[in-house]
Amino acid sequence: MSEMMRNRLMLAAAIFLAAIYLFPLYWMYITALKTGSAMFATPPQFWPSDPQWQIYGEVWQSRNMGRYLFNSLVIAFGAVSLICVLGVGCAYVLARYRNVWVDIGLFLILMLQVLPASLMITPIFVGFSQIGLLASPRFAVILAIAAKSMPFFVVLVRATFMSVPQELEEAALVDGNSRVGAFWHIVLPLARNGILVSAILIFMQAFGEFVYSKSIIQAVELQPASVGLNSFMGPNTNEWNNIMAYATMYVTPILAIFVLLQRRIVSGLTSGALK
Amino acid sequence: MKRFFSSITDGKGFDILLVAFPLGYLFLMSGLPLLYNVLMSFQEVDMFSLGTFWRPFVGLKNYRDLFAQPETLPILYNTGIFVVASIAGQFLLGFGLALFFWTNFPGASWLRGLFLVSWVMPGLVVGAIWNWILSGDFGVLNFLLRETGIIDGNIFWRSDPDFSLWAVIIANIWLGMAFNMILLSVGLSAIPKDLYEAAELDGANAFQRFWTITLPMMRSSIGAIISLGLIFTLQQFDLFAAITSGGPNNSSNVTQYWAWDLSFRQYDFAKGATISVIMIVFVMFASVVYVRSTRHEVRG
Repeated sequence: MSEMMRNRLMLAAAIFLAAIYLFPLYWMYITALKTGSAMFATPPQFWPSDPQWQIYGEVWQSRNMGRYLFNSLVIAFGAVSLICVLGVGCAYVLARYRNVWVDIGLFLILMLQVLPASLMITPIFVGFSQIGLLASPRFAVILAIAAKSMPFFVVLVRATFMSVPQELEEAALVDGNSRVGAFWHIVLPLARNGILVSAILIFMQAFGEFVYSKSIIQAVELQPASVGLNSFMGPNTNEWNNIMAYATMYVTPILAIFVLLQRRIVSGLTSGALK
Repeated sequence: MKRFFSSITDGKGFDILLVAFPLGYLFLMSGLPLLYNVLMSFQEVDMFSLGTFWRPFVGLKNYRDLFAQPETLPILYNTGIFVVASIAGQFLLGFGLALFFWTNFPGASWLRGLFLVSWVMPGLVVGAIWNWILSGDFGVLNFLLRETGIIDGNIFWRSDPDFSLWAVIIANIWLGMAFNMILLSVGLSAIPKDLYEAAELDGANAFQRFWTITLPMMRSSIGAIISLGLIFTLQQFDLFAAITSGGPNNSSNVTQYWAWDLSFRQYDFAKGATISVIMIVFVMFASVVYVRSTRHEVRG
């Protein structure tokens, strides 16, 4: 009985803590539904008396969000595809062997993982402009994001490959499979879940990426939603309900994916980041 | 020739091929820019020489000019405060939460995972939300602080030079706390339970158990998490762009925002490259600490 009481108390305390922590998110959803005057009321309304559901349609129209989100999707899918094509094999080899070359490779990859994007953008921008890549700015951003996020992906996926027993692959080789066949038919299917979770994490990062897009993409019609949000927020803005509606439409899909796949994402993240 | 192809499908060539492309790509897209950055910091770069590689070399002039500017030292100082306060806040709050959830009750792991939403959200959105929460006249944080009697008048978080940096720090602590907590939880769950049972039998109280078992056992995770925190904090850019833009009057400017501002707002690419080089050297140093503290785990 006392054990049950304790569990209930702890659960209540945990929900309370989570509620405090998630309050900013709640505030985003609530502010979006407020009228222009309710938004600036003192004391603030913690529950909208007159929810304005039509705001989403209005903001979607006036800010041209379809185009922004499409650009975000193009950039995120492009970056994730490129990273998967290049990164999976790299992670596999780094997981399969243990020698000094692998250590050096891992060390280099970990070092590249830490370079801040806002510091790397200066040489990337100048270099890209010199080789003419700025003519196709979304592609240039995809290339830059892929270079930025691939090390993290490799570290996460490598942890997945480490958990695939090597005996399975050896058995396949003995049975007459080639290395390519064993990799393609045995190792990859077993590591599929881990690769998928890592790809989703990278996708979320790329979907919200800002520095590269802001610096490289000048044309409004090619900019992603993060840059669109930035230009929506002028220095003295007072359309907070519209901005929050924009933010809501931008993050709700990400939050939905996260809540659905939460357990896998958390375990995938922890296996890679500390190992 | 045949042997070459069979090696690619069935031997060492396969591994080398798999590694060569990604590493080559990373070298092209990260390694070369890194070197180019160093090169540019010794050159005179302006809008006219942007298109050519052969720019006049000026030696250490960019570095001297940079440190002769009056805002350089305050910005470096801000960076220090930002890093230390963010890491301290993220780590302490994250550790507290990790210890709380460690007591293990039904639903603990699911609720704990929920905290990580802050980490998967786009930084710009987090910045926009906090920008609104921290607003001076109508911000909900000021309201809550007034109601609880902590402050009398409104704090103008974004426009008061005494508070603008702290506005970003608050948002950054919120953003990074959950990540710290998750990683610390992993470290905590790796401590063998029988250590605590033995200590309890010996009559150690909760505080003594924490100091003599939890902290020493967590030493390598704590080292890794703090250096990871340093790396992430120095990468934080979006919150500055969304909340204060480094203002007012550079009071909330930090090096990673300033480097971008110099290059893309003032078109002074040489100075932007110079400050980048200084900071990248610093980040590299932090990452060596991180790699060293996780090395035994990396090698498996």
